Amino acid sequence: MTAYREIRVKTPLALKILPVVSVTAFFCLWEFVVRTGIVPETMLAAPSSVAQLFVLKLSEVDPDGALLQEHAWVSIQEAFTGYFLSLAVGIPLGLAMGWFVMAEGLARPVFEIIRPIPPVAWIPLTIFWFGIGLPGKIFIIWLGGLVPCVINAYVGVKMTNPTLIQMARTYGASDWQIFRQLCIPSALPMVFGALQIALACCWTNLVAAELLAADSGLGFMITMGRRLAMPEMVVLGMVMVGLTGAVIGVVIDRVEKKLLAGIRR
Amino acid sequence: MSSNIANETTCAFRDRQPWTVGRVLTNRYFLYTVSFCCFFLGWDYLARTLGAEGSSSLARPTEVIVALQDLWDNELAEYKLLGHIWASTQRVLIGFCIAAVLAVPLGLIMALNRYVNAIVKPLFDLLKPMPPISWISISILWFGIDETSKVFIIVIGTFVPCLLNAYNGVRLVDPELYDVIRMLGGNRRDEILHVCFPASFPAIFAGLQISLSSAWTCVLAAELVSARSGLGYIIVQGMNLSDPAMVMGGMAVIAVVAWCTTLLVTGLERYLCPWKRKIAGL
Repeated sequence: MTAYREIRVKTPLALKILPVVSVTAFFCLWEFVVRTGIVPETMLAAPSSVAQLFVLKLSEVDPDGALLQEHAWVSIQEAFTGYFLSLAVGIPLGLAMGWFVMAEGLARPVFEIIRPIPPVAWIPLTIFWFGIGLPGKIFIIWLGGLVPCVINAYVGVKMTNPTLIQMARTYGASDWQIFRQLCIPSALPMVFGALQIALACCWTNLVAAELLAADSGLGFMITMGRRLAMPEMVVLGMVMVGLTGAVIGVVIDRVEKKLLAGIRR
Repeated sequence: MSSNIANETTCAFRDRQPWTVGRVLTNRYFLYTVSFCCFFLGWDYLARTLGAEGSSSLARPTEVIVALQDLWDNELAEYKLLGHIWASTQRVLIGFCIAAVLAVPLGLIMALNRYVNAIVKPLFDLLKPMPPISWISISILWFGIDETSKVFIIVIGTFVPCLLNAYNGVRLVDPELYDVIRMLGGNRRDEILHVCFPASFPAIFAGLQISLSSAWTCVLAAELVSARSGLGYIIVQGMNLSDPAMVMGGMAVIAVVAWCTTLLVTGLERYLCPWKRKIAGL
């Protein structure tokens, strides 16, 4: 006998089965409700017809002008350009605002003016400025991702342990040295937290931008589905948006874990 | 900052320092003022130079104020400015309250009972990654373009953060607190009432804050797509009339109103859970 005995906590069988049951029940109910006509087919599409349309759209351009892959690719391109631009601007800005009085004093008021305006509200203005092309959408997505980046980087620097800063001062470190060698590393977990939040914001704003001003992309596909009164296309668009967003989220999570391997504990 | 005696002495010492150019330049409030002035002057300058070239893509701050005055005095689609503000706020509040009333208890129950969790969590995980804005089209198919569809979008948009935060709030309660109440002879009911709920309050309120800003995004998106009233409608009308002053006036009003509702929730939070630690600055 060893000193330790492995403690096994048994998961009740019901807990393993229930998730499967609930998801199956959800899809069955959905299919049933549409098939029996409780909900008219002009309002909701059955999962089976959505799946059919999915297969069809992989090789069929009609009726909205592009293949499914093309729509998805356009959306991903826009989202990533805006996302990386917002990271490139927002994180350094937030870090600087957290440490340098000058940066905070000058940037904070402007940031506080812009912050409460939802990025969606900028859409009409960007249509004035950029038309309905790529730059306008990237601008909206960039705005959406910027706010969480700045806030998280700022809070990360502000939460640096003051004792460590005082210690660094005692040893004669300059402001810049403290910022670079102490504040930035201690803010990193918060900054990486911003990656996920900013991605979710970017993805939401992408859909909004495409709903209002676009000629391709997943959001455009949803709008076309509504205009053509094809609920299966609307649902397919929603599913694709959700799926793509989830996949990108998982990828970023992986990257984050790799990069942070040495930092968290 | 930990306030020890050394710190206090330095503060007192600093206060007696003479006013020098360097100190004025790094004074926070001085910098704020400079920043505000630069922002508005730069905006005005940009608008004037762009306006001189004949393209009407940016309005001057004064023009925005005139446009707001005009909206205040005259009716736009049967409502004056206050009417539009109230239309949007009403939608946000109704949707927000419905979602909070449904989602917070559901999140708490999910965290407390693993059978409920096993049933609801997979469905929730399926629906979670879809941005609420992508529901706009289907809600128009379902409810038409009247109030119901907008409230539906807001409920969808606010449901997720409310539920997630209530759920995580209970799950991340410090286990030692449970040990304490068990030591004191509490049963399961005491654990829930005296530990779970109070300890998860800050997380729930953080969720309400997030969902409130999400609600404003949703209501705007819904109003931009189709509406006859509300702040989003003002912006769309400004766009259709290619009147940037009206668009920017609408944006300014949205910023102010959204900020006010955020203050409301923050105030409520201060009142309901005064023990919550505050991060300086935000």
